[in-house]
Amino acid sequence: MLCPQLASAAEEPCDAPSPDCAVVGQWEISASFGLGQRSNPVAGESDIPLVVVPQISYYGKRFFLVNLELGYTLFEGEKNTFNVIATPGYDRVFFHRGDLQNIFVPTSGGGAFSGRPDPMPGNGDDLDSENVRNFEVGRRRTTFLVGPEWTFGYGRITGQLNAVREVTGRHNGMEVRGALASPLLVGRFGSLVASGGITWKSAEVVRYYYGVDNLYVPDSSLSPFVKLRYSREISDRWGFNLFAHYEKLSSSISDSPIVSEDHVTTVFAGVVFRVH
Amino acid sequence: MRRKARYLIVAALLPVMASAGAQPSANSAAITLNLTPRICTLSAEDENCDTVVTAKWRAPKDESLCLLIVGQPQVRQCWENHSEGVYTVRLLFNQDLLVELRDLELQEVLTSETIAVIKEALRLRRKRRQPWDILS
Repeated sequence: MLCPQLASAAEEPCDAPSPDCAVVGQWEISASFGLGQRSNPVAGESDIPLVVVPQISYYGKRFFLVNLELGYTLFEGEKNTFNVIATPGYDRVFFHRGDLQNIFVPTSGGGAFSGRPDPMPGNGDDLDSENVRNFEVGRRRTTFLVGPEWTFGYGRITGQLNAVREVTGRHNGMEVRGALASPLLVGRFGSLVASGGITWKSAEVVRYYYGVDNLYVPDSSLSPFVKLRYSREISDRWGFNLFAHYEKLSSSISDSPIVSEDHVTTVFAGVVFRVH
Repeated sequence: MRRKARYLIVAALLPVMASAGAQPSANSAAITLNLTPRICTLSAEDENCDTVVTAKWRAPKDESLCLLIVGQPQVRQCWENHSEGVYTVRLLFNQDLLVELRDLELQEVLTSETIAVIKEALRLRRKRRQPWDILS
Protein backbone atom coordinates (compact mmCIF):
# COMPACT_ATOMS: atom_id res chain seq x y z
CA MET A 1 0.00 0.00 0.00
CA LEU A 2 1.46 3.32 -0.99
CA CYS A 3 1.33 6.34 1.19
CA PRO A 4 -0.12 9.55 -0.32
CA GLN A 5 2.93 11.61 0.60
CA LEU A 6 5.25 9.15 -1.05
CA ALA A 7 5.95 11.05 -4.24
CA SER A 8 6.56 14.34 -2.51
CA ALA A 9 8.85 12.68 0.00
CA ALA A 10 10.90 11.12 -2.74
CA GLU A 11 11.41 14.45 -4.47
CA GLU A 12 11.85 16.60 -1.40
CA PRO A 13 14.04 19.61 -2.12
CA CYS A 14 17.48 19.56 -0.60
CA ASP A 15 17.26 22.77 1.41
CA ALA A 16 18.16 21.59 4.91
CA PRO A 17 20.47 18.97 6.39
CA SER A 18 18.63 15.64 6.52
CA PRO A 19 19.27 11.94 6.01
CA ASP A 20 19.07 12.67 2.27
CA CYS A 21 20.95 15.97 2.20
CA ALA A 22 24.54 16.50 3.28
CA VAL A 23 26.23 19.72 4.25
CA VAL A 24 29.08 20.30 1.82
CA GLY A 25 32.43 20.24 3.54
CA GLN A 26 31.22 18.52 6.68
CA TRP A 27 32.01 15.01 7.85
CA GLU A 28 29.15 12.80 8.92
CA ILE A 29 29.96 10.01 11.31
CA SER A 30 27.43 7.57 12.68
CA ALA A 31 27.30 4.04 13.95
CA SER A 32 24.57 1.45 14.09
CA PHE A 33 24.53 -0.75 17.16
CA GLY A 34 22.47 -3.88 17.07
CA LEU A 35 22.36 -7.49 16.11
CA GLY A 36 22.64 -9.08 12.73
CA GLN A 37 24.69 -11.27 10.50
CA ARG A 38 25.69 -11.88 6.97
CA SER A 39 25.75 -15.47 5.84
CA ASN A 40 28.97 -16.72 4.35
CA PRO A 41 28.46 -19.03 1.41
CA VAL A 42 32.06 -20.12 1.35
CA ALA A 43 32.50 -23.68 2.49
CA GLY A 44 33.95 -23.92 5.94
CA GLU A 45 33.66 -20.24 6.69
CA SER A 46 31.46 -18.97 9.47
CA ASP A 47 28.82 -16.31 9.09
CA ILE A 48 29.85 -12.70 9.62
CA PRO A 49 28.35 -11.08 12.72
CA LEU A 50 27.10 -7.50 12.52
CA VAL A 51 27.09 -5.74 15.86
CA VAL A 52 28.53 -2.30 15.20
CA VAL A 53 28.25 -0.86 11.72
CA PRO A 54 30.04 2.49 11.39
CA GLN A 55 29.23 4.92 8.61
CA ILE A 56 31.48 7.78 7.52
CA SER A 57 30.77 10.20 4.73
CA TYR A 58 32.08 13.46 3.38
CA TYR A 59 30.64 15.49 0.55
CA GLY A 60 32.64 18.23 -1.08
CA LYS A 61 31.35 20.37 -3.89
CA ARG A 62 31.91 17.48 -6.28
CA PHE A 63 34.07 14.98 -4.46
CA PHE A 64 32.51 12.52 -2.04
CA LEU A 65 33.59 9.74 0.24
CA VAL A 66 31.04 7.24 1.51
CA ASN A 67 32.66 4.64 3.73
CA LEU A 68 35.18 2.94 1.46
CA GLU A 69 33.90 4.41 -1.79
CA LEU A 70 35.26 7.53 -3.41
CA GLY A 71 33.56 9.50 -6.10
CA TYR A 72 33.54 12.61 -8.20
CA THR A 73 30.31 14.09 -9.45
CA LEU A 74 30.47 15.07 -13.11
CA PHE A 75 26.88 16.22 -13.35
CA GLU A 76 24.15 16.63 -10.79
CA GLY A 77 20.66 17.51 -11.96
CA GLU A 78 17.13 17.25 -10.64
CA LYS A 79 16.62 13.75 -11.97
CA ASN A 80 20.02 12.51 -13.09
CA THR A 81 23.45 12.38 -11.52
CA PHE A 82 26.63 11.13 -13.14
CA ASN A 83 29.59 10.19 -11.01
CA VAL A 84 32.92 8.50 -11.43
CA ILE A 85 33.42 6.14 -8.53
CA ALA A 86 36.14 4.00 -7.05
CA THR A 87 34.78 1.08 -5.09
CA PRO A 88 36.40 -1.93 -3.43
CA GLY A 89 35.82 -5.41 -4.74
CA TYR A 90 33.29 -6.92 -2.37
CA ASP A 91 33.84 -10.64 -2.64
CA ARG A 92 36.94 -10.49 -0.51
CA VAL A 93 34.75 -10.09 2.59
CA PHE A 94 33.96 -13.79 2.50
CA PHE A 95 37.61 -14.76 2.63
CA HIS A 96 39.06 -12.30 5.08
CA ARG A 97 37.20 -11.51 8.24
CA GLY A 98 39.45 -8.50 8.76
CA ASP A 99 38.47 -6.92 5.47
CA LEU A 100 37.35 -3.35 6.09
CA GLN A 101 34.11 -4.13 4.32
CA ASN A 102 33.22 -6.39 7.18
CA ILE A 103 33.32 -3.24 9.30
CA PHE A 104 31.89 -0.68 6.89
CA VAL A 105 29.29 -3.10 5.68
CA PRO A 106 28.09 -2.80 2.08
CA THR A 107 26.01 -5.40 0.33
CA SER A 108 26.82 -4.83 -3.28
CA GLY A 109 28.91 -7.92 -3.47
CA GLY A 110 27.59 -11.18 -4.56
CA GLY A 111 30.44 -13.49 -4.21
CA ALA A 112 30.71 -16.27 -1.78
CA PHE A 113 33.33 -18.78 -1.00
CA SER A 114 36.08 -19.57 1.37
CA GLY A 115 39.22 -17.61 1.12
CA ARG A 116 41.20 -19.66 3.48
CA PRO A 117 44.82 -19.84 2.47
CA ASP A 118 45.20 -23.40 3.66
CA PRO A 119 44.58 -26.36 1.37
CA MET A 120 41.01 -27.55 1.64
CA PRO A 121 39.16 -30.45 0.17
CA GLY A 122 37.17 -29.93 -2.94
CA ASN A 123 33.57 -30.97 -3.08
CA GLY A 124 32.98 -31.01 -6.81
CA ASP A 125 30.62 -33.57 -8.29
CA ASP A 126 33.44 -35.10 -10.27
CA LEU A 127 35.16 -36.19 -7.12
CA ASP A 128 34.14 -39.08 -4.97
CA SER A 129 34.75 -39.31 -1.26
CA GLU A 130 37.43 -41.95 -1.69
CA ASN A 131 39.40 -39.84 -4.07
CA VAL A 132 39.42 -36.48 -2.39
CA ARG A 133 41.67 -33.95 -4.03
CA ASN A 134 43.21 -31.11 -2.16
CA PHE A 135 43.55 -27.73 -3.81
CA GLU A 136 44.99 -24.44 -2.86
CA VAL A 137 42.72 -21.49 -2.34
CA GLY A 138 44.94 -18.54 -2.97
CA ARG A 139 44.86 -15.29 -1.10
CA ARG A 140 42.40 -12.73 -2.39
CA ARG A 141 43.90 -9.27 -2.35
CA THR A 142 42.10 -6.00 -1.81
CA THR A 143 41.01 -4.65 -5.17
CA PHE A 144 39.51 -1.40 -6.35
CA LEU A 145 37.24 -0.91 -9.28
CA VAL A 146 36.70 2.39 -11.06
CA GLY A 147 34.05 3.49 -13.47
CA PRO A 148 31.03 5.64 -14.26
CA GLU A 149 27.82 5.61 -12.29
CA TRP A 150 24.42 6.93 -13.28
CA THR A 151 21.76 7.63 -10.69
CA PHE A 152 18.29 8.67 -11.75
CA GLY A 153 14.96 9.44 -10.19
CA TYR A 154 11.66 8.63 -11.78
CA GLY A 155 8.73 9.52 -9.61
CA ARG A 156 9.32 7.80 -6.34
CA ILE A 157 11.76 5.31 -7.83
CA THR A 158 15.50 5.75 -7.59
CA GLY A 159 17.68 3.83 -9.97
CA GLN A 160 21.38 3.31 -10.21
CA LEU A 161 23.62 1.76 -12.80
CA ASN A 162 27.36 1.58 -12.71
CA ALA A 163 30.05 -0.20 -14.67
CA VAL A 164 33.40 -0.52 -12.97
CA ARG A 165 36.69 -2.10 -13.96
CA GLU A 166 39.35 -3.42 -11.63
CA VAL A 167 42.35 -1.10 -11.68
CA THR A 168 44.61 -2.58 -9.02
CA GLY A 169 46.09 -5.20 -11.31
CA ARG A 170 44.71 -8.33 -9.69
CA HIS A 171 42.27 -9.65 -12.24
CA ASN A 172 41.31 -6.77 -14.59
CA GLY A 173 37.71 -7.86 -14.40
CA MET A 174 34.54 -5.83 -14.69
CA GLU A 175 31.37 -5.49 -12.69
CA VAL A 176 28.07 -3.95 -13.70
CA ARG A 177 25.63 -3.17 -10.94
CA GLY A 178 22.07 -2.07 -11.46
CA ALA A 179 19.40 -1.47 -8.85
CA LEU A 180 16.06 0.18 -8.25
CA ALA A 181 14.68 1.40 -4.93
CA SER A 182 11.26 2.68 -4.00
CA PRO A 183 9.75 3.74 -0.70
CA LEU A 184 6.71 1.70 0.20
CA LEU A 185 5.76 3.71 3.23
CA VAL A 186 6.84 7.15 4.36
CA GLY A 187 5.41 8.88 7.34
CA ARG A 188 5.87 9.79 10.95
CA PHE A 189 6.16 6.12 11.78
CA GLY A 190 9.26 5.82 9.65
CA SER A 191 9.99 4.72 6.13
CA LEU A 192 10.00 1.35 4.47
CA VAL A 193 12.06 1.08 1.31
CA ALA A 194 12.26 -1.87 -1.04
CA SER A 195 15.18 -2.36 -3.40
CA GLY A 196 16.10 -4.88 -6.01
CA GLY A 197 18.80 -5.27 -8.58
CA ILE A 198 21.46 -7.35 -10.21
CA THR A 199 25.22 -7.59 -10.14
CA TRP A 200 27.05 -8.87 -13.18
CA LYS A 201 30.63 -9.96 -12.77
CA SER A 202 32.92 -10.75 -15.61
CA ALA A 203 34.60 -14.16 -15.81
CA GLU A 204 37.85 -12.61 -14.59
CA VAL A 205 36.24 -11.48 -11.36
CA VAL A 206 34.49 -14.76 -10.73
CA ARG A 207 37.60 -16.77 -11.50
CA TYR A 208 39.75 -14.64 -9.23
CA TYR A 209 37.49 -15.27 -6.27
CA TYR A 210 35.75 -18.57 -6.99
CA GLY A 211 37.89 -20.36 -9.48
CA VAL A 212 40.12 -23.27 -8.53
CA ASP A 213 43.21 -23.95 -10.61
CA ASN A 214 42.86 -26.96 -12.90
CA LEU A 215 39.54 -27.80 -11.31
CA TYR A 216 36.96 -25.09 -11.70
CA VAL A 217 37.06 -22.29 -14.25
CA PRO A 218 33.83 -20.34 -13.90
CA ASP A 219 32.23 -18.05 -16.41
CA SER A 220 30.70 -14.65 -15.71
CA SER A 221 27.95 -14.36 -13.12
CA LEU A 222 24.63 -12.58 -12.83
CA SER A 223 23.28 -12.42 -9.29
CA PRO A 224 19.97 -10.74 -8.37
CA PHE A 225 19.17 -9.31 -4.97
CA VAL A 226 16.26 -7.87 -3.03
CA LYS A 227 16.36 -5.72 0.07
CA LEU A 228 13.83 -4.36 2.51
CA ARG A 229 14.78 -1.62 4.90
CA TYR A 230 12.79 0.07 7.63
CA SER A 231 14.14 3.17 9.34
CA ARG A 232 12.76 5.65 11.76
CA GLU A 233 14.22 8.87 13.09
CA ILE A 234 13.92 9.08 16.85
CA SER A 235 15.78 12.37 17.28
CA ASP A 236 18.46 14.40 15.53
CA ARG A 237 21.05 11.96 16.77
CA TRP A 238 19.21 8.70 17.18
CA GLY A 239 17.37 6.49 14.75
CA PHE A 240 16.29 2.93 14.28
CA ASN A 241 17.23 0.64 11.43
CA LEU A 242 16.02 -2.76 10.34
CA PHE A 243 16.93 -4.42 7.10
CA ALA A 244 17.02 -7.73 5.33
CA HIS A 245 18.97 -8.40 2.18
CA TYR A 246 18.93 -11.53 0.08
CA GLU A 247 21.19 -12.22 -2.86
CA LYS A 248 20.83 -15.29 -5.04
CA LEU A 249 24.22 -16.29 -6.28
CA SER A 250 24.74 -17.08 -9.91
CA SER A 251 25.38 -20.74 -10.66
CA SER A 252 28.88 -19.91 -11.85
CA ILE A 253 29.59 -18.92 -8.25
CA SER A 254 27.47 -21.42 -6.37
CA ASP A 255 28.85 -24.30 -8.47
CA SER A 256 32.34 -23.56 -7.28
CA PRO A 257 33.81 -26.33 -5.13
CA ILE A 258 34.65 -23.75 -2.48
CA VAL A 259 31.07 -22.49 -2.22
CA SER A 260 28.52 -24.36 -0.18
CA GLU A 261 25.48 -22.08 -0.41
CA ASP A 262 23.77 -20.46 -3.36
CA HIS A 263 22.77 -17.27 -1.59
CA VAL A 264 23.90 -14.57 0.80
CA THR A 265 21.51 -13.31 3.43
CA THR A 266 22.17 -10.21 5.50
CA VAL A 267 19.90 -9.12 8.33
CA PHE A 268 20.38 -6.41 10.91
CA ALA A 269 18.32 -4.54 13.50
CA GLY A 270 19.67 -1.80 15.67
CA VAL A 271 19.82 1.83 16.65
CA VAL A 272 21.80 4.46 14.80
CA PHE A 273 23.77 7.09 16.66
CA ARG A 274 25.01 10.08 14.73
CA VAL A 275 28.24 11.27 16.25
CA HIS A 276 28.55 14.27 13.94
CA MET B 1 6.11 71.42 -13.47
CA ARG B 2 3.81 69.75 -11.00
CA ARG B 3 5.79 66.50 -11.18
CA LYS B 4 9.06 68.36 -10.62
CA ALA B 5 7.66 69.96 -7.48
CA ARG B 6 6.76 66.57 -6.07
CA TYR B 7 10.35 65.41 -6.60
CA LEU B 8 11.59 68.48 -4.82
CA ILE B 9 9.39 67.81 -1.83
CA VAL B 10 10.59 64.23 -1.62
CA ALA B 11 14.19 65.35 -1.91
CA ALA B 12 13.70 67.84 0.86
CA LEU B 13 12.20 65.21 3.12
CA LEU B 14 14.97 62.63 2.58
CA PRO B 15 17.42 63.95 5.19
CA VAL B 16 14.60 64.15 7.72
CA MET B 17 13.50 60.59 6.96
CA ALA B 18 17.06 59.32 7.18
CA SER B 19 17.67 60.90 10.56
CA ALA B 20 14.32 59.65 11.83
CA GLY B 21 15.39 56.12 10.96
CA ALA B 22 18.72 56.27 12.77
CA GLN B 23 17.34 58.55 15.48
CA PRO B 24 20.58 60.06 16.81
CA SER B 25 19.98 63.62 17.90
CA ALA B 26 21.52 66.48 15.99
CA ASN B 27 23.37 67.95 18.96
CA SER B 28 25.18 64.66 19.63
CA ALA B 29 26.74 64.32 16.22
CA ALA B 30 30.19 64.69 17.67
CA ILE B 31 29.84 61.75 20.05
CA THR B 32 31.67 58.77 18.59
CA LEU B 33 30.95 55.18 19.50
CA ASN B 34 33.28 52.36 18.51
CA LEU B 35 32.43 48.71 18.96
CA THR B 36 34.59 45.63 18.87
CA PRO B 37 34.07 43.30 17.25
CA ARG B 38 32.37 44.97 14.30
CA ILE B 39 31.20 41.72 12.78
CA CYS B 40 30.42 38.31 14.19
CA THR B 41 30.54 35.44 11.72
CA LEU B 42 28.54 32.35 12.59
CA SER B 43 29.82 29.13 11.13
CA ALA B 44 27.40 26.52 9.90
CA GLU B 45 27.56 24.77 13.24
CA ASP B 46 27.18 27.87 15.45
CA GLU B 47 23.80 29.05 16.62
CA ASN B 48 24.91 32.13 18.55
CA CYS B 49 27.72 34.60 18.75
CA ASP B 50 29.25 34.17 22.15
CA THR B 51 31.72 36.99 22.43
CA VAL B 52 33.01 39.82 24.56
CA VAL B 53 31.74 43.16 23.24
CA THR B 54 33.62 46.34 24.00
CA ALA B 55 32.01 49.75 23.47
CA LYS B 56 34.14 52.90 23.62
CA TRP B 57 32.61 56.32 23.32
CA ARG B 58 34.12 59.77 23.23
CA ALA B 59 32.61 63.27 23.21
CA PRO B 60 34.14 66.74 22.75
CA LYS B 61 32.58 67.87 26.05
CA ASP B 62 31.23 66.25 29.19
CA GLU B 63 28.02 64.35 28.62
CA SER B 64 25.59 62.39 30.76
CA LEU B 65 24.39 59.37 28.94
CA CYS B 66 23.58 55.67 29.10
CA LEU B 67 24.65 52.76 26.97
CA LEU B 68 21.91 50.31 26.03
CA ILE B 69 21.80 47.30 23.77
CA VAL B 70 18.59 46.51 21.95
CA GLY B 71 17.33 43.06 22.90
CA GLN B 72 19.68 42.84 25.89
CA PRO B 73 17.69 44.50 28.70
CA GLN B 74 20.23 43.45 31.30
CA VAL B 75 22.78 45.82 29.80
CA ARG B 76 22.59 49.42 31.00
CA GLN B 77 25.66 51.46 31.81
CA CYS B 78 25.36 55.18 32.56
CA TRP B 79 27.91 57.97 32.92
CA GLU B 80 27.35 61.44 34.33
CA ASN B 81 29.49 64.31 33.18
CA HIS B 82 32.07 62.25 31.32
CA SER B 83 33.69 62.90 28.00
CA GLU B 84 34.53 59.28 27.35
CA GLY B 85 33.75 55.81 28.59
CA VAL B 86 34.40 52.13 28.02
CA TYR B 87 32.05 49.26 28.68
CA THR B 88 32.80 45.58 28.24
CA VAL B 89 30.32 42.77 28.46
CA ARG B 90 30.10 39.17 27.31
CA LEU B 91 27.02 38.58 25.19
CA LEU B 92 25.19 35.81 23.43
CA PHE B 93 23.32 36.92 20.33
CA ASN B 94 22.28 35.64 16.93
CA GLN B 95 21.02 38.81 15.27
CA ASP B 96 22.56 42.17 14.54
CA LEU B 97 23.35 43.86 17.81
CA LEU B 98 22.31 47.52 18.05
CA VAL B 99 24.24 49.47 20.69
CA GLU B 100 22.86 52.87 21.59
CA LEU B 101 23.99 55.84 23.64
CA ARG B 102 20.94 57.65 25.03
CA ASP B 103 20.38 60.53 27.35
CA LEU B 104 19.81 59.74 31.01
CA GLU B 105 16.05 59.70 30.52
CA LEU B 106 16.56 57.16 27.74
CA GLN B 107 14.35 59.23 25.50
CA GLU B 108 16.84 60.46 22.94
CA VAL B 109 19.31 58.36 21.00
CA LEU B 110 22.57 60.26 20.91
CA THR B 111 24.35 57.84 18.66
CA SER B 112 24.29 54.16 17.81
CA GLU B 113 26.39 51.48 16.15
CA THR B 114 25.72 47.90 15.09
CA ILE B 115 27.61 44.65 15.33
CA ALA B 116 26.55 42.74 12.25
CA VAL B 117 25.93 39.00 12.44
CA ILE B 118 26.83 37.13 9.31
CA LYS B 119 25.69 33.57 9.00
CA GLU B 120 27.78 31.32 6.88
CA ALA B 121 25.45 29.94 4.22
CA LEU B 122 25.06 26.18 4.31
CA ARG B 123 25.78 24.56 1.03
CA LEU B 124 23.87 21.35 0.67
CA ARG B 125 23.90 18.54 -1.82
CA ARG B 126 21.88 15.41 -2.16
CA LYS B 127 23.60 12.36 -0.77
CA ARG B 128 24.54 9.60 -3.13
CA ARG B 129 21.80 7.03 -3.20
CA GLN B 130 22.84 3.43 -3.22
CA PRO B 131 19.90 1.09 -3.53
CA TRP B 132 22.12 -1.84 -2.64
CA ASP B 133 23.76 -0.36 0.40
CA ILE B 134 22.26 -1.83 3.52
CA LEU B 135 21.99 1.44 5.37
CA SER B 136 20.71 3.64 2.55
